[in-house]
Amino acid sequence: MDYTPYVAGMETLKFPSILPALTPQFLSPQPPSCCPPLAAFSSALNEESGHRSVTGGGRMEVLEEREEEEHEEEQEEEEQKDKELKPLEISDKPEDLKTKESVERVCVPSDVPDFDWSSIDTSQLPSSYKTNSPSEEKLLHVAAHFLQQYTHICPDRKPLFLHPVNECGVEKFVSTTVRPTLLPYTELYHWDGCASFVSDYLIMEPLKSPITPVPKEEIKKSNKYRIKSPPDLQSKFELQQKAKKAKKAETEAAQKDKERGEEMVMKVEKPKGDPLHGLRVHAWVLVLSGKREVPETFFINPFTGNSHSTTDEQFLGIESIWNHRNYWVNMQDCWNGCKDLVFDLSDNIRWEVMLSGSDKPHQLLPDAEEKNELPDNDMDDVPEPEDENRNLDMPPSWVDPIQISPREFETRCCQGTKVTLYKKAKLEKWAPYLNANGLVKRLTVYADAECSEVVEVKEWFTNREDMLDLREVNKRTQLTTDYFSPGHRFHLKAHTYMWLEPETENTMEFYNEARVDGLQKRVQSAMEMTEYFVGRDDFLHVRYTEFGKRGKKVHLAGMRADANARPIVQIKECFHRNPEKPADEDVAERIFLITEEMIHLTYHLKDNYLTASQKDFFKIPEGEIRGREDVMTPDMCITYQAGFSKEEKLVHLYKMLQELIEVEKQLKEQVRRSEAEVLNILKTRENEENSVKLLVSIYDTERNEKRRQEYEAMKKSREDDLLGQEGQDLDYLAPFLLQTGNTEKITKAQALRLRNDCLADLKRRLVNKANIIQARFDKAVEELQKKDEWFQENQDKLSEEEEEEFLARYSETTFLIHILSLRLRREKETAPQKYLALEEKLRKDPRFAEHLGHA
Amino acid sequence: MSQSHNSVEPNVIDDEMIQKAIEEQYPEDIGQLAKKEGTDFKDVTELQLSFRNILQIDNLWQFENLTKLQLDNNIIEKIEALECLVHLVWLDLSFNNIEVIEGLDTLVKLQDLSLYNNRISKIEHMDTLQELQIFSIGKNNLTTLEDVIYLRRFKNLRTLNLTGNPLCDDERYMLFVVAYLPNLMYLDFKLVSDSTREAAVLEYQDRTDLLEGEEAQVLAELEEKQAKQQELEYHKTAFVEYLNGSFLFDNMYEDDTEAAKLASLPGVSDLLQKYREEFVSVCENLFNFGLKEYEKREAEVSEFCECRNEALTANQQESRKLILDFENRNKMTLDEIHNAGSSDIAESKRAEYKADIHQLSEALMTLEILIADQMEELANDFKGNMAVVASTFIENIKGIMNQCRDLENRHHEKLLEICITTLEKSVKNELEEDLPDEVRMLLVDKNTIVNAANVSHGVRLRKIDMRESDIFTNTYRWQASVTEKAFQNEVDRNREHVKEILQYIDSLQEELHNMETLEPME
Repeated sequence: MDYTPYVAGMETLKFPSILPALTPQFLSPQPPSCCPPLAAFSSALNEESGHRSVTGGGRMEVLEEREEEEHEEEQEEEEQKDKELKPLEISDKPEDLKTKESVERVCVPSDVPDFDWSSIDTSQLPSSYKTNSPSEEKLLHVAAHFLQQYTHICPDRKPLFLHPVNECGVEKFVSTTVRPTLLPYTELYHWDGCASFVSDYLIMEPLKSPITPVPKEEIKKSNKYRIKSPPDLQSKFELQQKAKKAKKAETEAAQKDKERGEEMVMKVEKPKGDPLHGLRVHAWVLVLSGKREVPETFFINPFTGNSHSTTDEQFLGIESIWNHRNYWVNMQDCWNGCKDLVFDLSDNIRWEVMLSGSDKPHQLLPDAEEKNELPDNDMDDVPEPEDENRNLDMPPSWVDPIQISPREFETRCCQGTKVTLYKKAKLEKWAPYLNANGLVKRLTVYADAECSEVVEVKEWFTNREDMLDLREVNKRTQLTTDYFSPGHRFHLKAHTYMWLEPETENTMEFYNEARVDGLQKRVQSAMEMTEYFVGRDDFLHVRYTEFGKRGKKVHLAGMRADANARPIVQIKECFHRNPEKPADEDVAERIFLITEEMIHLTYHLKDNYLTASQKDFFKIPEGEIRGREDVMTPDMCITYQAGFSKEEKLVHLYKMLQELIEVEKQLKEQVRRSEAEVLNILKTRENEENSVKLLVSIYDTERNEKRRQEYEAMKKSREDDLLGQEGQDLDYLAPFLLQTGNTEKITKAQALRLRNDCLADLKRRLVNKANIIQARFDKAVEELQKKDEWFQENQDKLSEEEEEEFLARYSETTFLIHILSLRLRREKETAPQKYLALEEKLRKDPRFAEHLGHA
Repeated sequence: MSQSHNSVEPNVIDDEMIQKAIEEQYPEDIGQLAKKEGTDFKDVTELQLSFRNILQIDNLWQFENLTKLQLDNNIIEKIEALECLVHLVWLDLSFNNIEVIEGLDTLVKLQDLSLYNNRISKIEHMDTLQELQIFSIGKNNLTTLEDVIYLRRFKNLRTLNLTGNPLCDDERYMLFVVAYLPNLMYLDFKLVSDSTREAAVLEYQDRTDLLEGEEAQVLAELEEKQAKQQELEYHKTAFVEYLNGSFLFDNMYEDDTEAAKLASLPGVSDLLQKYREEFVSVCENLFNFGLKEYEKREAEVSEFCECRNEALTANQQESRKLILDFENRNKMTLDEIHNAGSSDIAESKRAEYKADIHQLSEALMTLEILIADQMEELANDFKGNMAVVASTFIENIKGIMNQCRDLENRHHEKLLEICITTLEKSVKNELEEDLPDEVRMLLVDKNTIVNAANVSHGVRLRKIDMRESDIFTNTYRWQASVTEKAFQNEVDRNREHVKEILQYIDSLQEELHNMETLEPME
């Protein structure tokens, strides 16, 4: 059971519309030596994400069919049957049986009512798709026989899914639809990557419910499928409906007691009862443990690519398993779901194998035969063919190997897009570059199960020039948050906003490592701006600016460009402790009350101190400063010094004040710069949003138009060069024509002379070339001899190193001689040919045509 | 401008000159202020005394915090009176008449030293200036190229100026300097090029390598010595210095002539050898025990400090919260009082504020009293614990020391035995070995030899007692100091805190009071 990847050929037939250009299909790109993934059609009823359409009340048979087909596409083994496998002795209740039958019937592919078979173009398909080879015919025969025996032995179970028709309407044995293929993408090398790739190709479509709400119709339908009595489904359904109603009533009763809101949620969230519980047969992928470090056997859900343990409650049983080699029917009791199943396929009692000879030794045969013979007499009639069957080898797959181009691989889903619905959420995926704005994924979260009220939208982008990575829109707060990867022009990391307007509330986060000023975050609103810094040398960590309302006066008097800027009321800066300064000289917070002409300093706390030192400076208004005698008086600074207070010199305070005034000036400019930057960022963001540009790797010649043009230009110029050379070659007569005066018409004598000149010239050149090579050759030989002599003479005196060096040189020279001799020989061989070729060319030259052509 | 500029008369730095210099270096507005207020020399960090015809440096001792001093273009002949300027980073003595480099030993922070244009003939007396980065000694009388090697000790030296010295005429000059000072980046105002460097290495590599080897060796020795010193310090803090080995034992036999004589008696050397081994092993025990106990003591102390800090931090936070609450509550109060419509409202608000201040003061003080009580209790506990720690340590030491004594006593007994047997043998003339005369003197009679042995025994016992009492004294001293420090710290802290609270409350009240006095004026 060593095996190789599998490829299926059937998908084409099912989804032509979905996979227009690609014919393909799936692949399980595991390398040759891995454990066999087996596809199993189990009756597991799995309400996974994709299945909501079923619960919604589609037609169930079709759905089932669809699923099966899809699974085949994926290429694992298959088999169909349904419900729990019961041991032979135990018979199902009649109603159950019937129900199953009805479902089964519908499962025959040709019965799928709403699939348009004519939509598939089969004309291009190879003949293996359209006909069965003799060995395949034989296999089908064997399969039919196997089925016959099987139905005989297990009348209660559904017929096996053995040979569905393919897209060309030809019956093919399921195992031959699998073709192991290794693909060149590392992502597909492991089961999870592979499964998620395949799952992206599968699309769930809601199907009509096989059990229509009205009982009468249902009966009708059953009749159509020759079901003898109305299925028990009806009653079951009704029962469930009743139960549902009862529940609803209960809920309603509870509703009175409980709060309304809570209620609603509960109701909405309650999963609806499934009327088809246990009736569906699905195809899953089964990966057996053992090889390639697979520790445990598990299932893969083809629609999600997720793995599921075989002990999962949701699996109700397994009908059969197949891979590209063989086909096994489960003979174990599935009363407890798949939990107790033994997945040892060589166990002939638990797993009835179809082609026992193909990969089993012969000693297993008797067992199998015995088993088959036991229940039925019919068996005895055809013992011979059976033996043959058992020894038959699985014919090679008729399917073409899957080919996936890098483009297709990148595109992932069919058409490059895929929509998945979840409970209260919708996930959409697109291939890169499909959307002009770089959108690749969108998750919409809804408040209710009906998906009417959007709570939150998340959009993921790739390859954007502005490095936008993710956008979250919270519909409740109306806040949009853009997240950026490193590399934005302004080193933006995240941007939260309602509108891209200046002076509205917005928060910008930055990659502070990339910024010179260490800005980490800037929170803006109409009246405030707060900037947070990280890792600054001056220990600043917060700068808070409060703005006032724009006064009209300012507007009128506005002479400077920024006159209309918001007036700054105060600027506050907070600093971390600078361990190099004593605490009461290290400013913790400074507040510039600009309108009040005041500066307030608070220092850091000293160890074990309760109060921080403070200083309040009162600035003298500009106008008064000149008239004053003293530039600084004690009442201009109120100091509170924690602990002992030393009298501070006015000089010191004055210097401090001067410095602070200077700082204030710079801070004002800084704030204006920040404001300008905000404006700039907002504007840039708007532009970026309005004309989204996508980055294309320079290695992506397909998309990178510029690069391609460059490349082509380069190629062309190179070709031109080559052409040019050729042109020169073509013009081999030009120099001689020039000598003769390049007359329009050439006389025969001239022609002859030209020809001779030309040939002579070539000859001379060839000889020259040969001579040069010969000369070099001689020189090299001479050198070698010299060296050799020298070596012979000095051999004894040489140190090891010198000797080594000599040997290296010696072998180098020998190599050179070898090359030269080769070239010389080649030259000698090709020279006559070249000469002849030119002669021939000259003869055919149109210019000489009339003179030499007939010669 | 000033007199000193024009006068040819040699000057000595005096207060007047300094005062003037300080005033001159301020801008006008600050200068005025400074003049009015007077300048504290301690606040001055830079001083320029160029072109003042100074002959002798003096009067600079007050400038404790000076970092930059310019004394260029004077007629100074001797570097002196700079010892106090320990923070000096920048010293300019260019264009003077200095002949010898000296008096710079205390200026360990010096980074930039200029002695340009002087009369110096030897680079010397600069060993302590390890921070030196820029050194200018151009236009001097340096003649010996090998003098430059002296500069190797300045690991941070990047810029050197030697132009205008006789030694520059030596053709080896450039390569020699570069080779011996490989960290130099600028020589004589020029960047040292890589090619020069390479050439220099090529030329002088053998010699510099040799030198480097020597330096490395010296450095290694120094480091080893320091490490040893450090270890000894550690042992001393554990009170068991010189106990990890035979120091004590050797000490016991030092200067003991009697013992030396007795040692030559037959069989005594074996006995001594054995005794020594046993004794040393007991000493080792004592030493290890001491180190272990030291760790324990340190742990105890640090636990106490931790606990104390925790309590203090908690208390500080609580007080801080009170203050912040108060400040938030009353942020606007002063303004409100100030702007109150009627004086009645203002008055009531003021009263309210006053009450609040009072309340805050009470609350802070209560907290302080509480913490002070707690701290005292903690300190008492600590004291008790320390006493227990010290006394158990001493008990144990006593035990071990008694082992030493026992060993000594046993040894002594055995020695006596040997003495007596030897004496008997000697009396009987059975002695095999030939003994030195001194020893033979002892073997005259029983008393002599027993006395000798007893004397030496006594000496040794005394040495042991002395070592023991050393440990005891050190331990008691340590115990007292650590306990006292705990109490003293607490007292200081308490005082400081109370002071701080009072001061803060005062400042609040003053603020309020200022407003009251202001108002009537308006």
